[in-house]
Amino acid sequence: MTPWAYIPQFLSSGITIGAIYALVALGFVTIARASQIINFAQGEFVMLGGMITFSLLHHVGLPYPMAAVTSVFFVILVGFLLYLLVIYPLRKASIPILLMATLGASLFISNSSSIVFGPLPKALPPFSGDEPFLIAGIPVVPQSLWVLGATFLLLFFLYHLSHKTLLGKAMEASSTDPLGADLSGIWRSLMVFFAFGVSAGMGSIAGILITPIFYTSYSSGTLLGLKGFIAAVLGGWGKNSGAILGGFILGIAESVSVAFIPSGYKDAVAFIILLLILHFRPKGILGSPFIDSRRW
Amino acid sequence: MIPMKGGSLMNGKKVFIGLLSLTFILLAWVAPSSSAVKSPYKIGVNLEFTGPWAEVTKTLKMAMTLEVDRVNAMGGIDGHPLELIMEDNGFDLGRVASNMTKFARDKEMIAVVGPFEDNLQATSRSIAEREKITNIIICPSNPMVRGLKQRWAFNIAHNDIIVSQKLVDLCQARKYKTVLVFPGAWPLAQSLAKNFKAFGEAKGMKVIISEESHKPTDIDMTPQLTKLKPIIEKEKVDAIYASTAGPPAAIICKNLRALGLKTPVIGTHGFGFGFIIELGGDAMEGVEFGAGKAVVPDQLDENDPVRPIVIDFDKRMKAKYGVGADQIAGHAYDAIWLITDALKRSQGKVTRSTFRDKLESTKGFKGVMGIYNYSPTDHDGLVKKDLVFIRIEGRKFVRVKLPGFE
Repeated sequence: MTPWAYIPQFLSSGITIGAIYALVALGFVTIARASQIINFAQGEFVMLGGMITFSLLHHVGLPYPMAAVTSVFFVILVGFLLYLLVIYPLRKASIPILLMATLGASLFISNSSSIVFGPLPKALPPFSGDEPFLIAGIPVVPQSLWVLGATFLLLFFLYHLSHKTLLGKAMEASSTDPLGADLSGIWRSLMVFFAFGVSAGMGSIAGILITPIFYTSYSSGTLLGLKGFIAAVLGGWGKNSGAILGGFILGIAESVSVAFIPSGYKDAVAFIILLLILHFRPKGILGSPFIDSRRW
Repeated sequence: MIPMKGGSLMNGKKVFIGLLSLTFILLAWVAPSSSAVKSPYKIGVNLEFTGPWAEVTKTLKMAMTLEVDRVNAMGGIDGHPLELIMEDNGFDLGRVASNMTKFARDKEMIAVVGPFEDNLQATSRSIAEREKITNIIICPSNPMVRGLKQRWAFNIAHNDIIVSQKLVDLCQARKYKTVLVFPGAWPLAQSLAKNFKAFGEAKGMKVIISEESHKPTDIDMTPQLTKLKPIIEKEKVDAIYASTAGPPAAIICKNLRALGLKTPVIGTHGFGFGFIIELGGDAMEGVEFGAGKAVVPDQLDENDPVRPIVIDFDKRMKAKYGVGADQIAGHAYDAIWLITDALKRSQGKVTRSTFRDKLESTKGFKGVMGIYNYSPTDHDGLVKKDLVFIRIEGRKFVRVKLPGFE
């Protein structure tokens, strides 16, 4: 059996995990576009989405859809709190300081969640059965289609928000031209506040979508966050389209790489790709609006 | 010694006050031991109370406290109560080492229980060896540490050799001729795979150890299993042996079923934790493995010598904490009562070295997990017949009896 024979199966699992990376990457980009902050607590939103849904489902006894929606609201609340308690008091500090602050917040959230929800991993039931069906001879679980469908819906929503609404444009303006935004009467702090809410909501949806396929534990947010960040940089830091492209490329590359190299190196593949891209094309695949002569 | 230059400058009053306070400190220290209660035997507990195993070690802590209270309520050991000194090692090698050293330097400490995880035991064992203090480790020994023939370390869980033998029995009873092993990438999982191959091939089975492995942090095994799928189909594999423990066990089963493979899965004693069933859901149905008796406290044979102990322990756990005995709680029970047993046989002359010798000469000790027999060449204690076959059915652990292989 040559390695090429496995490719279709790897593609299907790569696309699923790629969609999740894309959602996490979009969360990073949404905040970066509004404030240029890199929010390293992004992965924790994903973890919290799964964790809160699990406890609402099993400890409070809400029906599944209700539990999922309520948990998204909770995580958005966490996103708002993160902004109000961590970012807003430091708004006059430099970007690296804010970055360290979000890293601290990420550790705080993951450790508190181990105390609140317990450290054992949790899994959610799939949305619609777990009997795989065949698409062109490849077994696919229904949950993968849910992940893809929901990802595209979210992408559409985000596209609409950032390109068609005043709110989205104001959010972007507050990052690209702070002075101009101020002069036009945009309340920049409020825009960043909203950006945190949107990206928390997106993270939590990603978390709810993947918990039935994989599982979630208090520490699983860190690696997902890191992979999402790599995806965002890979595609072009600060671009929505770049984040999506980067997410899928990363997911597929990681999965397909297993056909050619031992699986133990799977996690390293992401970082090797990142280094190669940054070396040959520092702006990412689609180019970055932030990484240019204006800042560097 | 560094000469104390300042001493000569000290005036008499200061010296007097110093001596007075020293006397008080000494008095305060000596006073409690002069009361009627005899001095306690101190046992250090060096466990992962925080980090990924926090929930598991919580059970250990509960069960240990329960049993120590019981020992003390029964009058202790010749009037000496047991006292546990618990320290958290946070799943961190450095803290395992510092806790261990701290315990070892405390002259009153008789022994140390813990750590729980395999990758922490080598450090703890080597310190035990250097400081000459008995170290009772919860997890199974692995070939690497067994090869060192350390005198001071004892394991209380079923080791890789007997678990592999038990699984070969399982395969024979189920008439599995060809078995594919998908091992984890850590020493214990690897040695479980190797032993299984050795014992299996001796019985005429065909055992293929996959070149693909997995890490405890992998959340998606689909890529590895996809590569195994052609092998499974070509070699007509009868069963897949997931040589792993904890969350990966559930992920392997889930991913296998998602790939449309219906091959039966067999597992190690690391499958005997309830949370794995919750994680894996329906994919875990029909998985079979060999594990300790505490996994199925209410399904043991009528004539099983440890049955009354398991049932009694299960009852007391339920009465105090509302949860029954499981594999982890069983280890806690065995640790405490092995210590108590060895201390009792020391007949009042308890030092670190007599305690070690008495523990090593433990014979026929009935614990929750089985009957322990330690000897200078065997620091694992248990044998194959201390394991039972377990099948996951209806999201519960169900004991299965395979005639001719019990």
